[in-house]
Amino acid sequence: MTRLSLVVVSYEMARELPRTLLSLSPAHQGVEPGEYEIVVVDNASRTPPRAEDFAHLGADLSVLRCSAPSHSPVRAINEGLAQARGALIGVWIDGARMASPGLIRACAAAAALHPRPVVATLNYQLGPDLQRISSAQGYDRAREDALLDSIAWPGDGYRLFEIATAETRGGPLGAMLESNALFLPRALWDELGGYDEGFAEPGGSVVNPDTLIRAVELPGTQLIRVLGEGTFHQIHGGLSTSTQDRAMNMLKEGSRTYLRLRGKPLMPVRFRGWTYDSRTGAVER
Amino acid sequence: MQNDPHDIDPALLRSWMVKYICGVLGLDIATFSTSDRFDVYGLDSVEAVIMAGVMEEEFQVIVDPHQFFDTPNVDAFVAAFTARDAE
Repeated sequence: MTRLSLVVVSYEMARELPRTLLSLSPAHQGVEPGEYEIVVVDNASRTPPRAEDFAHLGADLSVLRCSAPSHSPVRAINEGLAQARGALIGVWIDGARMASPGLIRACAAAAALHPRPVVATLNYQLGPDLQRISSAQGYDRAREDALLDSIAWPGDGYRLFEIATAETRGGPLGAMLESNALFLPRALWDELGGYDEGFAEPGGSVVNPDTLIRAVELPGTQLIRVLGEGTFHQIHGGLSTSTQDRAMNMLKEGSRTYLRLRGKPLMPVRFRGWTYDSRTGAVER
Repeated sequence: MQNDPHDIDPALLRSWMVKYICGVLGLDIATFSTSDRFDVYGLDSVEAVIMAGVMEEEFQVIVDPHQFFDTPNVDAFVAAFTARDAE
């Protein structure tokens, strides 16, 4: 039986998705192929990815096409969740995010610590600064390719930390606006009703923060932050990472949408929760 | 939208910002200083942009988040935002 599923959403990621899927492959993650599946849901790319293109990864990998594609990835995510067979499911709202090599094992271990776990990984962006800033200073796909070559990726996937910038400016225990990838048991995803399709704006607006907030607000859940692992965003023209002004505008509009839908201001998750450190196996409650 | 920022009562806006920031950051309103920089009490750029969106909904005005960085405390922001010669 598949214990774990990864739902990865893609849209026009011919350059980025192969790296993401390589980073999630059994050989890179050190996990047996039968232990997990990868469900890629394509949100109407002009040239959609095909499962056979990734057969060499040796993963249990399927590619779906979203039945009702839109500018928002929410429907694609929910169709991926419906398809997923794992007891624990991790969602990648952005298929341009590579994973560190122990991420799957760490999230599975963290999830086993509590009956209702909300397992949040930390977000990083490749490059010398957040990409909405570095892109104005010349950071682009070519520089990113060179940066990855400079650490001989995928040789030692943990070297991604050497060439990346953390999104949480308050450190790993600081305020967390969102997590990509977010792992919940199947039952919690069902209880949550998946991602909220009310967030219909391009990129899903702040649906990812909304999902994290709703998950930690479910009764009896336990936030568990995974330390020592992370996801690493490749630059690809996404709304929140392409330019400072676009990112700011997207967040401001998202804040308004959130207020209208939820009746309260959008607030990052400030409490620490538990931590699971993949480097030592240490748990702090 | 849109209301004119000049028509907003500065005292009302100041009070709203103090309440909002204290609510978001869990600060004590009684000891909050409106002349301290936003970053002194931990309001980062992401939360400032979120506040801009909430302010737009609340006051039905357009708020350019850059204004929070140009006038980075409550007093300075309120004065600039509601000034008659503000653009």
